[in-house]
This record gives sequence, C-alpha cells and structure tokens, in this order.
Amino acid sequence: MFEQFDTPEPDEAVKLALRRIDEATARGEGSDVEGLAFNEVVVNMGPQHPSTHGVLRLVVTLDGELVKDVIPVIGYLHRCKEKLAEKRTYFQYIPIVDRTEYVAGINCEWGYVMTVEKLMGIRPTRRAEFIRVITGELSRIASHLVAVGTFTADLAPLGTAMVFYMFRDREGILDLLEELTGARMMFNYFRFGGVRYDLPDGWTSKCRDFMKRMPKMIDEYESLVDDNAVFLQRCMGKGVISQQDVMDYGITGPNARASAVALDLRRTRPYSVYPELDFEVCTLDHGDIFDRYKVRMMELRESVRIVEQCLDMLPKGPVQLGSLRAPYVITPPPGSCYVGQENPRGEFGTYIESDGSRYPYRLKFRDPCFCNLQLFPKLLSGNKIADAVAISGSIDLVLGGIDR
Amino acid sequence: MGLEIGTNPMEIDAIAARLVADFGDELRDVRVQEPDTIVARADKGVLKDLAGRLKGHPEIGYETLNFVAGVDEVRHIESIYHVYSWKTNTYLELHVELPRAKAEVDTVTGVWPAANWHEREAWDMVGINYLGHPDLRRILLKDDFIGHPLRKDYVDLIENHPHV
Amino acid sequence: MSDASPERSGLRYPKLEHFSEPNVITTTADFIFSWARSHSVFPFTYGLACCAIEMLSSGFARYDVARYGMEVFRPTPRQCDLMIVAGTLNEKMAPVLKRLYDQMAEPKWVISMGACATSGGPFYDGYNVVNGVDKVVPVDVYIPGCPPRPEALFQGLLELQVKIQQHRFVAEKPAIAADASAAVAPAPAKET
Repeated sequence: MFEQFDTPEPDEAVKLALRRIDEATARGEGSDVEGLAFNEVVVNMGPQHPSTHGVLRLVVTLDGELVKDVIPVIGYLHRCKEKLAEKRTYFQYIPIVDRTEYVAGINCEWGYVMTVEKLMGIRPTRRAEFIRVITGELSRIASHLVAVGTFTADLAPLGTAMVFYMFRDREGILDLLEELTGARMMFNYFRFGGVRYDLPDGWTSKCRDFMKRMPKMIDEYESLVDDNAVFLQRCMGKGVISQQDVMDYGITGPNARASAVALDLRRTRPYSVYPELDFEVCTLDHGDIFDRYKVRMMELRESVRIVEQCLDMLPKGPVQLGSLRAPYVITPPPGSCYVGQENPRGEFGTYIESDGSRYPYRLKFRDPCFCNLQLFPKLLSGNKIADAVAISGSIDLVLGGIDR
Repeated sequence: MGLEIGTNPMEIDAIAARLVADFGDELRDVRVQEPDTIVARADKGVLKDLAGRLKGHPEIGYETLNFVAGVDEVRHIESIYHVYSWKTNTYLELHVELPRAKAEVDTVTGVWPAANWHEREAWDMVGINYLGHPDLRRILLKDDFIGHPLRKDYVDLIENHPHV
Repeated sequence: MSDASPERSGLRYPKLEHFSEPNVITTTADFIFSWARSHSVFPFTYGLACCAIEMLSSGFARYDVARYGMEVFRPTPRQCDLMIVAGTLNEKMAPVLKRLYDQMAEPKWVISMGACATSGGPFYDGYNVVNGVDKVVPVDVYIPGCPPRPEALFQGLLELQVKIQQHRFVAEKPAIAADASAAVAPAPAKET
C-alpha cells in the first residue's frame, strides 16, 4: 500500500545524470556555496507531464533554476512498428503508418505509400495526386494548429485563449476530412496508385469556403499573442538553433526554416504535383522560439494558397490505378529504396527493403522528431527551466514518431 | 546567406563517376538510384576514415546524416548510413556488411554528431556494437530487455513481459 | 488523558455505516454523495498516444466536456478521481502507470479509452506492448474505438457516472436471506 511513497531505484538515465554531477564535482566545478558539496539537483520531468507533449521523460540537472544538463529518455510509447511491418502485408500496414505521427496522419501515409510506389515503379493517377496534395495540406494545417495551440497552452497552463480558437478551427478541417475519408484522425485513405475515395458532391465548395475563412482566422490567432509583452519576452532570443546545428543533427522542417535554411522537400526534392504549384518556402532569420512559431503561422497561409490552387486545377479522372483495385496483395520486386516527404515537422521518410514477398523485409522510419530531439541537451542547457518548457513546445514533438 | 542548398548542382551520374574516381578502392558497387540517390558499399575497416573524407569532400561534402539503419540480412548484418549533401542536393546510401557472429563497427559519431542516437537505436534493435560510441545503451526499450528484437531469430521471451 | 477516538472522548459521531438498514438518512446521503461525485469528476490526463488528442478535442470548444462537470483536467494524480488511460501501454510505461494509480486517492476510477488501452489494439502482437491496461490496474469502463470519437468518450463518461451513482453507504439486505438461513442452519431439535 505504501509503495507510492518509496523512492524508486535510480535507473540508467538518472545514474548517468548523477555520474556526470560527480565528474563535474571531481573536476572542481562543485558548489560555490559553503557547506554544500554540489549545487545540482536531478529532477525528473517524468513520462507523464502536462508540458512534454506525450510520454517524454526529461532527466534535468538543475542548478537552482538554471538547466545544466538534460537527458531525454524515450521509448515509453515504443509500439514495435518496425517489427510489425514484417508481419503485415504492405496494404495492411497503411493504417499503422497513420498512427506514427498521429497529429498529421495523412502526411505519414503519404511518405510510406510513395516509397512502396517507387519500389513497384508505379505512379498514381493525376486526380489522385491533386487530392493527395489537398488532403496533405489540410493535414498540415491541422497539425500546425495543434502544435502552436499546445505550445501556447504550455506557456500559461491552458490559460491562453489561443488553443481554444485553434482547436475550434481544427474541428472544421477534421469535418472536411471526415466527410472525405470517414475518420477524424486515422484516415487510412491513401492506396498504392491513388486514394480510396473520390471527393463527395459539394466537398470542393465546402473546402473553398473554409479556405476563404482561414486567413481571417489566422490573423485572429496572431492578434491574440503577437502584441503580448510576456509572450514576446519569453520567446524572443531563446532557444536559438544555429545553422551548424541544422547541419550536424539533421534538423528539418519549420525548425530549420526558422534558422534561415531554406530546406523544404516540396521544393528541394519535389514530389507529386508540387512543381506545378506556386507557393513560397517560409524562412526567418533568428532561429529562436518566436521565429519557429511565426514560420508555422506563415506556413498556414501558404497551405491555404496551395489548397485553393489545387481546387482550381483539379482534373477529372479516376482516383485509383485500374490495375490495383482489390485484391490488395502486392509483392514489390526485391530491392530497397528511401523516399523522404515533407511532414509538418520535417523530413519523414521510409526506407523499405523488399525481398519479393508479401511482407516488407525491413522497414525503417526516418522520423523528424527523433532527429530534432537529439538537439535538446544542447538547446536547453543554460536556460531557465521555464524556458525549457517553452523551447520543447516550440520544437513540436510527437512521441508517436520518436518512439515508433 | 548561410547554409545554401544546391550550390554545386551536378548530374547524378557525374557525381557517381566523381565518387568512383576519388574513393575508388573504398567505395564499391557504386550505382545510381533515380532520381537523386547513390548506393554504395564499404568495408567496415575503412568506414571511419571514409566517413571523414566523404564529409569533407570539397565539392560533394556529405555533411548531414539522415539515419543509420541496422538490417539483419540472414547471412550478415548491415549497417546502412544515409547521408545528404547540401551542395549537390543528393543522397548517398552507404551499406556496411558485418559478420553476424561479431557485428561490430567503428562509430561515426565523431564525423556526424547526429549518429549518436541513430547508432543507439541500431544497437537496441539489431545488436550492432558501435566501437567508441560515447554512450551506447538502449534507447527505445527498457534497460533490462533481453535480446535484439529486429533480428530475424528473435523469439519473444516471457522475461520481457512482466505484465502479461 | 483524552483519546482521539470519538467514542473514548465522549462525543458521539453518528456514522452512516452504523445503520443496519437503509433508511431515509442513508439514501439521502447516497443521493448527495453520488450527485456530487459523479457530476464533478476530476479527470487525470493520462494521454499516452493518439487517443490523447481526441481527449484534448473533447475538452475544447466543440465537444465540451465541461457540460458534464469534468473540465478540471489535472496533471497530478493526487488531485484526481478518474484516470483516463488513452493510448497504448507498453512494458516500459507499465510501472509508471501502476505508480501513478497508487498515488491517486480513493475513491478512484479508471477508464480505458481506445482499443490499445483495452486490449492492445492494432499493436497487440508487439514484443513490447501490454495487451490492455487491465493487466496493471482495475478498469471500470472500457471505450472501444481507434480513436474513439469524443461522443464515444462522453458515452463512456456517462456510463461511469451511472457506476459512481451506484455507491451505497448501507446496502439493502437481500430478501432471500431469511429462507437461506433456515436452510443452512443445522436443525438443533435433532440433537436433543
């Protein structure tokens, strides 16, 4: 009954943190306060925490309020996806890929489906490509709304109105996607060579109406926080990602674009019909928290533009390759291939090795959040613990992708 | 300003030819995978040196590591390094074969800092021992997990399931 | 020397459990406590995975869980009554779940939201996945779905309200007891 009061045995991460404190003390960097052997305290921001956006555990070494060192511990949501790929056929695996980065399910499906299509050497139909771009950008808008909403919710625990506004508008997008695919979050919509359902009647006009309303709503969100002195003071100049970090750690997505690196796979490695669309790669200079937030808001506007263009350019035709309607057991030829795709968080890629059978031989996800999280110890050290929460919110982590 | 992409655009075949010319005896089986990936093999003994030279190549510097994957091909184990070149905007996929009985290779953390966690994951899942890694311990599984799950001969043990 | 217990110190606190049968006092108390407990549940956000996003959506403007009095989501177990486990549980996380469940104060309830928390879901044959939260903590309501819509979560919460309202301070004796005691008691007349 009283186990809850026992201090648990320190595990590997905490032991590592304590070892590092001992080493620092041995080097002579111990306490500067008389009577104390060392200043530091090891605090566990445990796997269940309101601000870590999922089951991320941060073992933080604190000196007062200053963060000296962070050891992220992951794996609390490891769902064995890469091993499951070997037991499911390619088609059965599509719903499982949805659940990798569950906030932006369509984009994850897209990365996987593109890789399998490249292995098989097929191309989807043209109408399906446009529908893929539309749903992908809608999913990107929904994902950025969650990301920025939860980020502002962390700065003041649910005290900002921004998160309520953003989730309200996210419901509008989920309504559109639900009418199209049948599900609010786990869409299971893409197929090899196209998509599952064609657009229902009246969907394009609903989508157009929603896209007309979006820019005003984005202005409303920005008006809520952009003039707030506390927000600006907490976000400007903190958590700067340098260009050397982007190169060293493979940071991609809005985190890199906020540091003046114009890395957007929709432009640098174009796929689908993006070469025909007119949109800008949003970059900003400073690389701090505020710029990362601002880049995401700019990308919301660009996504709205892309969706409107696609709705105008939508051709007629089938949405699935005739040769690949059911039954859906495909056997790609032996070989391997990697295709990266621009997820709302960065480059999401799938490396698939096929041995000619119905099941993948090896499937490996290149997840953007896994690479972004590696930067944490460097990024959080030297900041106050409150800034640590703000920085981790601005990096936009989804543990489903990190832990797979 | 700063980090630019594609400052030295070269045709993918030209890049492959250049790699063969510069690293001929270390990079073997260089082939092109459309549209922008080169696949090659290397021996485990030359990996560290080769990695440093690939990164520092003046015209095709592969400066960013995308991922490190461990694959259990039944006869051997492979460690795959997928790297990106900013100057030419292309990828290189480097396969290193390791004997199954002793799956060890030098770490490339000194060359690409991103390899730290990727190699930990390959150790965790496939059991490749990266010699010289600063902190090689399990990353996704719990610390007392027995076995390396992505090996083809992995059997689910009851000791790994205290809650069943 | 005064002892702390009410009987010793001379004060008599009537406790509801002292009644041998339900009467108007205990049933009124049942009603008040059940009404208070079921309509002001403090959920504990144990969102692990995708279902956590649907749980968040149900807390925000369109699907407003505040209608049921449950908008006070607290991140610490010490202040909560209801643990909504939303997402896949795996072997690394299971001891944490047990620990947090132990830290909640009585009376406490658990809702297992989603297919993964109920039975492992689409990942049931993973080497690291626990097939269901009820292997670690006792569960009161299971909500199927992957992820369950917010309306499904609300149906689960309403079922839980019904379950909370079944609490009785003094239970009714079953009507069959008189006959049963006659049947099992040894007949003393035979021994004389």
